[in-house]
Amino acid sequence: MKNRLKVLRAERDWSQGDLAERLEVSRQSVNAIETGKYDPSLPLAFRIADLFGLPIEDIFLKD
Amino acid sequence: MTMNPAQRRYLGRMVVVSVTYVAAIFLAGSLLPKGSPATPLSVAIALLPGLAVFGFIWAIGRYFSELTDEYLRLLEIRKALVATALALGVASSWGILEIYTDVPRLPVFWVFPIWCFGLGVGAAVNKLTFGDGGCA
Repeated sequence: MKNRLKVLRAERDWSQGDLAERLEVSRQSVNAIETGKYDPSLPLAFRIADLFGLPIEDIFLKD
Repeated sequence: MTMNPAQRRYLGRMVVVSVTYVAAIFLAGSLLPKGSPATPLSVAIALLPGLAVFGFIWAIGRYFSELTDEYLRLLEIRKALVATALALGVASSWGILEIYTDVPRLPVFWVFPIWCFGLGVGAAVNKLTFGDGGCA
């Protein structure tokens, strides 16, 4: 699944570590999600959406 | 890389269980000559290191359940699956070899060390497929 995490993070000038800290996950997790190696669970996807104040479908896109 | 709380607890438990395991091995080795008759007492003493092995497995299970980071948990579970596949595969294949050929017997004792070795293989598989080995 594609996602706009890297762009959204860059818009806020956050490093992967900053985003990981806000989501309470590891930096490895953020990197794996950003690069499309790992699709987050629905609860984590909602946490990401809440953090950016966007609907999930504006962050995660169908292939 | 800094350790998360689950990793710290896991490491602490592994240290305690490892010390217990080594102490139990020394105790069994010093009290029981090799090939001692199987009496209730000798069996109880010889099983002490086995209890420590259960401790290792318990610590690993606790670690899986305490890891709150779902991606890291995925990596750890994948390592355990690779380790299980390797241990079962090696034990079963060697067992078949023992039935049909005169290869030396593989003591069942080795199944858990093979499984632990498999965790390392699993970390390598994770590294190749995800780019991350895991966290323990």
